[in-house]
Amino acid sequence: MRRWLVIGGWWLVVGGCWLVVRGQAPEPRRPHFTDVAPTSNFAYRTDNNFTGRKYFPQTMCGGVAAFDFDNDGRMDLFFTNGAKLPELEKTDPRFYNCLLRNRGDGTFEDVTAHAGLLGKDLGFSFGVAAGDYDNDGFEDLFVCNAGRNTLYHNNGDGTFTDVTERSGIGGKPKDVLSVAAAWFDYDNDGKLDLIVSNYTAWTPQTDKICAVNGREYYCHPKVYTNVAHRLYHNLGNGRFEDVTEASGFGKELGKGMGIAIADFNGDGYMDVFVANDTVRNFLFINQKNGTFKESGYEWGVAFDESGNAGSSMGADAKDYDNDGWPDLFYNNLKGQIWGLYRNMAGKTMNYVSGVSSVSRLSVRSSGWSNGFVDYNNDGWKDLYSSNGDIDNMGEISRQPDTMFENVDGKQFRDVSSMLGADFNHAGFQRGSAFVDLNNDGFEDLVVTSLDEKPRILLNSADNGNHWLLVNTIGRRSNRDGIGAALKLTTAAGRTLYNHVTTSDGFMSSSDKRVHFGLGAEKDIKSLEIRWPSGILQTLKKVRADRILTVTEPAR
Amino acid sequence: MLFLAPAVRAQQPPAGDIEGAIRAYREYLETHPDSVEARSNLGAALARAGRYDEAIAEYGRALTKSPENPALLLNMGLAYYKTGRLAEAATRFERAVTLAPQFKEQVTLLLASCDNSLGKYKEAIALLSPLELEKSADQAFDYLYGAALIGDGQDARGAAVIDRILSRGESAEARLLRGTLKQRAHDYDGALADIEKAIALNDKLPGAHARLGELLLAKGEIERARAALGQELALDPDEFVSNLNLGVLAKQDQQYVEARRYFERALKAHPNDPGVRYQMANVDLATGHPDEARKALEALVGESPDFAEAHATLATVYYRLQRSADGDRERAIAQKLMDQRDAAETGVRAR
Repeated sequence: MRRWLVIGGWWLVVGGCWLVVRGQAPEPRRPHFTDVAPTSNFAYRTDNNFTGRKYFPQTMCGGVAAFDFDNDGRMDLFFTNGAKLPELEKTDPRFYNCLLRNRGDGTFEDVTAHAGLLGKDLGFSFGVAAGDYDNDGFEDLFVCNAGRNTLYHNNGDGTFTDVTERSGIGGKPKDVLSVAAAWFDYDNDGKLDLIVSNYTAWTPQTDKICAVNGREYYCHPKVYTNVAHRLYHNLGNGRFEDVTEASGFGKELGKGMGIAIADFNGDGYMDVFVANDTVRNFLFINQKNGTFKESGYEWGVAFDESGNAGSSMGADAKDYDNDGWPDLFYNNLKGQIWGLYRNMAGKTMNYVSGVSSVSRLSVRSSGWSNGFVDYNNDGWKDLYSSNGDIDNMGEISRQPDTMFENVDGKQFRDVSSMLGADFNHAGFQRGSAFVDLNNDGFEDLVVTSLDEKPRILLNSADNGNHWLLVNTIGRRSNRDGIGAALKLTTAAGRTLYNHVTTSDGFMSSSDKRVHFGLGAEKDIKSLEIRWPSGILQTLKKVRADRILTVTEPAR
Repeated sequence: MLFLAPAVRAQQPPAGDIEGAIRAYREYLETHPDSVEARSNLGAALARAGRYDEAIAEYGRALTKSPENPALLLNMGLAYYKTGRLAEAATRFERAVTLAPQFKEQVTLLLASCDNSLGKYKEAIALLSPLELEKSADQAFDYLYGAALIGDGQDARGAAVIDRILSRGESAEARLLRGTLKQRAHDYDGALADIEKAIALNDKLPGAHARLGELLLAKGEIERARAALGQELALDPDEFVSNLNLGVLAKQDQQYVEARRYFERALKAHPNDPGVRYQMANVDLATGHPDEARKALEALVGESPDFAEAHATLATVYYRLQRSADGDRERAIAQKLMDQRDAAETGVRAR
């Protein structure tokens, strides 16, 4: 007869002539998140001007960028906001965009007006991308709008200047909604170029009313036309050229949402994934001659596994299984399957949502922004998603965010409920950025939610794991080092990969510093950096638990 | 599938000791293997015992001796019907009526039920509409007719039939049909209320749990949907909608062996269904059998040239097989078809 003994969490199974002792792995100590936004005095709250009428763009509001605008070593925050509808104007201060300076003591100061970033003359703002496009050492901002897009040059004195007109970057077809953007150097000429994800053509005058039994709903995106995403080539001297048609981007019409930038095939040139809402996703593979080939079919990421185009929202591309190849993730709406794809040595992508448990974990959530983030510094990148339904249609429309913890590079488990009450706030979450706000080596989260103040979620950083943050300074490459590929080898021989990008999720821009969680290890054998210029730099015996600034060598 | 009382009770074995009757018929057939009557009775006894597959085998043997026997064909059709093999059932019913027109009245509702379950709504309407005046007080008729009209997209006529059923009092069938109509109009909350009411009135109503499962899938409530679809299969293991959707869910979870099992069952109910075959081709592709996927998809797009998703997946398959030119061609076809479909979707539509 078999007897079961339970001793202190261990199962002891005793049989007639055999004995098996099976251990239940103890739960690892997990950091949690605390919202510190209430301790700061700022007026910003995401305002999509919902007053009963359901205008199509209202579901997308609250982009966020984490960047150090004043080079004081502390990451600051910028938020975009909506506009009065149907006027499509920021008629009231409640619609202004917002720049918060990080004071370094856990509080933030609203410096928007002084910085010249209120955006009074803009329409409804969506996404934002931070990047030093002129290599002057100060991070600039590109803001996506209904109406004209805007390039703000950082003057280096705490103020910004709208340089859209003289830069040549403002042009786009009439009435197009631009919702997200990403800086990257597609031709490795040392200057950051810009890809803009466009959603559709819309104006308040062309807005349609969609109702069932007299109740108004947000319209299905298919009601509106598909449009091309736009690529702008940085010519230097603050000028850009629209190369949408010449590059091949103009041939593909979609409903763009999030953008993920990575060198998917390892050829040293950055590629572009655009998640499309109800249209097949695009994977633009860089042909290394100024053109791109849309290769979503070849790579198997255009549709889900049943050949359906879901409502893809945010996107990110990072190496979640530490095999040296950037993988791909996008989320979508409740009832659809969030897409996790494993990069098969730079040749194709394998759908792994099922075997990784992401499909099972994700079905109840409508995801917007997202990304791979090693929130617990164990060396495995986890999956975060900001969640909330399109519309407020019932009690489960407000949703909490999710964190799927990467167990071993193969499986994910939902640990959201263990990350604290502030993390589990239910709302209509939209934008999100990953950023180390207090430079403690643990990634914090900044999340917007419709009609609410943003949450600034500080990571408790209390599980004892080690880390390294790498701040890349390009010389021949773009100054941000965007596109640089990093390979870290620990003393024990564990190899971790990441690359420099500020683009992840949806409408958002994250801390450009490259983050590595090291688990219990604090000795780094080597750190290799392949710069966009092609220069390979290797650092030996790097000390952990610090922010390491690495400047690109001359050759 | 609609379960009606057996229309034909010809050649019934004696009530009571069914197993004894089966044994007796078998013994008799050992010495008289060519007796059509005894074999037919054995089939009927087996059917009565719920051993439909054995019954079908015996009817089949009897039919080799008497291929034009309408009663045999009818009983064989009933056995197929009971096992959910509706296409095979319909073939026998049609043949029986051709041979013996007097069976028509008994068989019409069964045939219409088969047609509805097979998605052949126009055929069902053709069978039922001439009987509308005569059968307008018949609940089973109205249910079948309403389902056929709604399945065919004739919502207004379907709604009139529903009203007729409800005028006689509360009805699970009418609630289910009305829920179906509401679901199609994207009124998910209204549909859910009606379908849940249908199940409350009759939790064994064929198709009700499957419809609930489909609705919950549309609402994104996957685990509840999974339970509802499983409930349907507990009532009818070969029900098409539940097998298809549970197969898709299993495929999404990359449980490919399980997915294939569901799809094979779905194909039992709807042989050659292009949607199921497409899903199976996707399983082939996902499990590393691109050549099998290619063959299946090439056959599918040959038969259904407007099947955009099949063209799209075939493009990916060709690219995987390093047949770029073929991939480019299929991709262009898929894109054209999807663009046409989008262009055809006129008017506003809620998300």
